[in-house]
Amino acid sequence: MSKVEEFDVCVIGTGAGGGVMIQQLTAAGFKVVALQRGPYLKPADFHDDELRTMIRDQVFSADQVETYRYDENSPTETGIFNFMANCVGGTMTHWAAWSWRFLPDDFKVLSTEGAVPGAALADWPVTYDEMEPYYERAEWEFGVSGDANGNPFGSPRKKPYPNPAHPGRVASDRVAAGMRKLGHHPFPTPVAINSRPYGRRSECAYGGSCLGYGCPVGAKATTLSVCIPKALATGNLDLRADTTAREIKVDDQGRARSVVYLDDDGNEHEVRARYVVVSGNAVGTPQLLLMSQSGQFPHGLANSSGLVGRYLTLHHVGAVAFTLDEPSRSVTGLHSHIAMDDFHPSDAKRGFIRGGVIGEANSPVNQPLMFALTTHIGCGERNWGADYKKYLKKFPRSVGLAAVLEDLPMDANRIDLDPEVKDRHGLPAPRITHRQHPNDYAMNRWYTKQMLDIADAAGAVDKWEAQFYTLPTEKSAMKGFMHFHGTCRMGDDPQTSVVDRWCRSHDVKNLWVVDGSVFPTSGGYNPTLTILANAYRVADRFVREAKRQNV
Amino acid sequence: MSNDVSRRTFLAGTAAYGTALWALANIPRPRALRAAQESTTPSVLSAEQWRTVEAITGRVIPTDEEPGAVEANCVNFIDKALANEDARAKPLYDAGVAGVDAVSAKRFDAPFHELDADRQDQILADLEAGKAAEWPHAEVPSPLFFETVRAHTVIGFLALPSYGGNRDMAGWKVTKYPGGGHHLGGYSPAQMSGKAKVTTAWDEEI
Repeated sequence: MSKVEEFDVCVIGTGAGGGVMIQQLTAAGFKVVALQRGPYLKPADFHDDELRTMIRDQVFSADQVETYRYDENSPTETGIFNFMANCVGGTMTHWAAWSWRFLPDDFKVLSTEGAVPGAALADWPVTYDEMEPYYERAEWEFGVSGDANGNPFGSPRKKPYPNPAHPGRVASDRVAAGMRKLGHHPFPTPVAINSRPYGRRSECAYGGSCLGYGCPVGAKATTLSVCIPKALATGNLDLRADTTAREIKVDDQGRARSVVYLDDDGNEHEVRARYVVVSGNAVGTPQLLLMSQSGQFPHGLANSSGLVGRYLTLHHVGAVAFTLDEPSRSVTGLHSHIAMDDFHPSDAKRGFIRGGVIGEANSPVNQPLMFALTTHIGCGERNWGADYKKYLKKFPRSVGLAAVLEDLPMDANRIDLDPEVKDRHGLPAPRITHRQHPNDYAMNRWYTKQMLDIADAAGAVDKWEAQFYTLPTEKSAMKGFMHFHGTCRMGDDPQTSVVDRWCRSHDVKNLWVVDGSVFPTSGGYNPTLTILANAYRVADRFVREAKRQNV
Repeated sequence: MSNDVSRRTFLAGTAAYGTALWALANIPRPRALRAAQESTTPSVLSAEQWRTVEAITGRVIPTDEEPGAVEANCVNFIDKALANEDARAKPLYDAGVAGVDAVSAKRFDAPFHELDADRQDQILADLEAGKAAEWPHAEVPSPLFFETVRAHTVIGFLALPSYGGNRDMAGWKVTKYPGGGHHLGGYSPAQMSGKAKVTTAWDEEI
């Protein structure tokens, strides 16, 4: 083992949570070492190669290994279940950039709904009012484009978006017309993609491939394009890509002392830090904490509650594809141009509680391989022969709709360490145990029906459920997705949460978890803006308290 | 195919090719693919295997008034994939191609590639359903082989031509996919809204 180096802070993971912490802590003068699985990619590394990027997973998850099981009595599968990006910038690097503020009641689900059988609902220890200034901060740092008055059902806000909304495409214009015809209230999807030059980044080229792809022009705001350059410019960041954190070590007082990591060749290194921030997302964070076992912490670090890895939520997504009588131009533009939020307020009369947001979304229809291989599933037609060729010819007229839907947390849904399967370094693979609450199926079916109605109102020639995402049967589960939350809940009670309201471990006073893991409930919106806002909130407190030597 | 080593190989193949998408995501990691892509002669398939696989691809995406998998040279894509990223599937192809020709010989007394389209379709439908009584391999499920060739054919038809298929951008011409949007320099608001034409990678205005 090489010489142990010393830093003020070690941040593990450079995605939405870690990237903001790195930006803020380096700006405040802390010497930060950042560890990140996978490479440090540059805009030139990002291109439209669908086979390499989406099918063979060679860009963002070359070494990813996970296992999945439905419940404790079900067989385990090995594969890649989570659509994450292992690279500097984390999963934000290939995000679609939908940028939502949660609604006030998204932070108070237990109080709002009461207890639900089979679900482990909880309130967040923070309120929307506490989050509001940090949402604003995140929107302005990341240059969100949108119409602040567009969503009559959205959260209250004090400032508009920093950039105007993007123009539409044929698909979104037709979807918006369909939504209006049904009495809904469509508005431009707020996205952290430049509609004009902003933050020393260029405006969008409307190349059509956002979700799943890195942005080759840097118009998409990510921690890679926003936070890391600022942090490097301070001279206070030592960025170590292609490293895998293996263990957080503690001293005799039970404080985090150092982080042991492996380089790309598997050689072990150790860095000492006064503070450790874990931002490995809701899969990687519990994996690292559970691997960090010691005499003082035999069940993993920061786990006196036994809740590290528990209450995994993934969202469940409904998806509909349909065709128009004209070219849809879904191959151009952003991932989503138009959304509606009319159904979001919880209404138990529908047969389920909670809800989500619906958007026009080109990911099922913007590139031919996904259209041919996955979007086809659910259309009911044969997948070879003359009929299949007719299906392929629908591609230029196709439109996608997606609903991002809140899933209810459950005791049984968790991340732990697989007892058998290892990654290439011999570290235990994260094991996903996940199934859906009955509320999820009911919600998924209801929203899918609304989207089929929107497709009709938009003038659909053909329409079908893209079953790659939907939950067709009661035994179906989201084995994984791109939204990870809930495995290190934040709360005021150390018995029922892993970190406090400032995302500091109840057990280990110089250890923070800053990513989607801390979400007690998942919210019916894409989570990233909330992860960013929460990170700015936590970073402010961190800097204040550290300077007063209170941590 | 009855010895233990072969059996293990095929079971591993079964696990990897359980369903098309997750399966293909779990294929071994990149090697020097591009080295092979200029070549359109067989790298790992024999001339006989090439003919059989090409005939199967031609039924997965048939030729009509527009090109199909044969014109797009999907068999070349498959050959190059089997030489590189998808090398793990080569034993599956060896067994599967032999199986297809065995079924064809028993049923019609001719190699598969010489059959007319209806007879080819009849055999492939039986393989897809696992109902070809003449299929010779107990340990290699015919649906697994069919689904693997099917998915490979579709990928070869629509992936970047540099991977060895999609010859002359045939697959993109059929689907009217203009090519990678960023590679083409992006699109204007007028193109997005349908007020202006889009110029494809093969210089057509659509």
